[in-house]
Formats: sequence, C-alpha cells, structure tokens
Amino acid sequence: MSKYMTFPEAAFKDLDLLIAALEEIGCSYIRQGADLEMGRYYSEQLEQKVSIVIPRDVIGNDYGDIGFELTESGEYRPVMDELDRSRALNGRFIPMLRAAYNERVIAKVAARLRGTIHRAVEGGVVKIKVRF
Amino acid sequence: MPEINFTIDAQTGEMEMKVEGVQGAQCADVAKIVTELTGAPQQEENTKEYYAHPKVRPQIQNNKA
Repeated sequence: MSKYMTFPEAAFKDLDLLIAALEEIGCSYIRQGADLEMGRYYSEQLEQKVSIVIPRDVIGNDYGDIGFELTESGEYRPVMDELDRSRALNGRFIPMLRAAYNERVIAKVAARLRGTIHRAVEGGVVKIKVRF
Repeated sequence: MPEINFTIDAQTGEMEMKVEGVQGAQCADVAKIVTELTGAPQQEENTKEYYAHPKVRPQIQNNKA
C-alpha cells in the first residue's frame, strides 16, 4: 500500500455526479441555479439561499426543502432540517446519496485512469477494485 | 499491477481508499484525481512505498574498440 485516505464528510465536489446520484436515489424533481431560495414553511425556518433545491415532499422531506449550498472551497454541502434528516428515505437520505455519489466517483476515476472495475458486496460493504 | 481499493460502507456511505503498487509522484497524481471529485480527505497516510524511489540500474558504456 502506498496511500490511504478516508472521506467521511458529506460534501460533494462534482455537480454532475451529485445530480446523477440524487436522481438515482429517487429525487424526481431537482431545481438548479444560483441563489435559489429554500421554501419557508414554518416560522423557525430562516431565509437560506442555495444552488440546488429538492422541494418539500419529493423524497419524504415533509418538513421543508432540502438544499445544497456551494461553499468557498467549491463543495456542495447539504442544508436540511434535522427532522427531515431522520425522515427523508427513512433517515437514509445522506448515507444513500453518499454511497451513490462515491460509486460515481470511482467510475469516473477508473475512466480517467483507463482502468478496469471489479465490484463485490460483502456484508454491508461495497468493495471496488480499480486496476490500471 | 497498480490498483486502487475502494470500500463504501452501505450504512453510512463513507468511502475509504487504498492505493497500492504506485510509487511517489504517480501516487500523488492518483490521489489528486480522486480528491478533485471528493474534496479533501479527513485522513491521509503515506506509506513507505510512497517514498520509495524507482530503482535505476546504472549503465556503463564500454568504448573498447
């Protein structure tokens, strides 16, 4: 082994991969743009502007919209209420999105390296080997 | 053959990556391709192999006529 890296943060750097991952996990309606305003359905929800909006009720997010804001470091970070974090996709919205996004990252890395992909699932772990 | 071993925890979506069989600058290039898509890793370790220099066998020219 020559390098070991972990990526535990829920941050998404590639817009196209993020949109594809959102569609894969069931987000059938996605708004994209600059300074999109998230809906305010309850008095405690403050004004929030983001780059991507999954409108309320699209994926079990009963409490409000789910947004993704573009940070100064060029990453898209989720903006969602804690109630929706535990409700959307039965509380699996972020884990499923990360898994779908990361699989796309691996496919893109393999394509850039002109490598081959070998995928296996063992228990709760997806193991993907890229040979190049 | 160089390879990258990725694991994705289905429960959390968290990804880990191990680059194997790649030395020095080429390993850094591979890591850069990944971090361009993932952002900076929380944890990163270089192993001995990362710092290894490729073996170069000196060549001696024999100019005897």
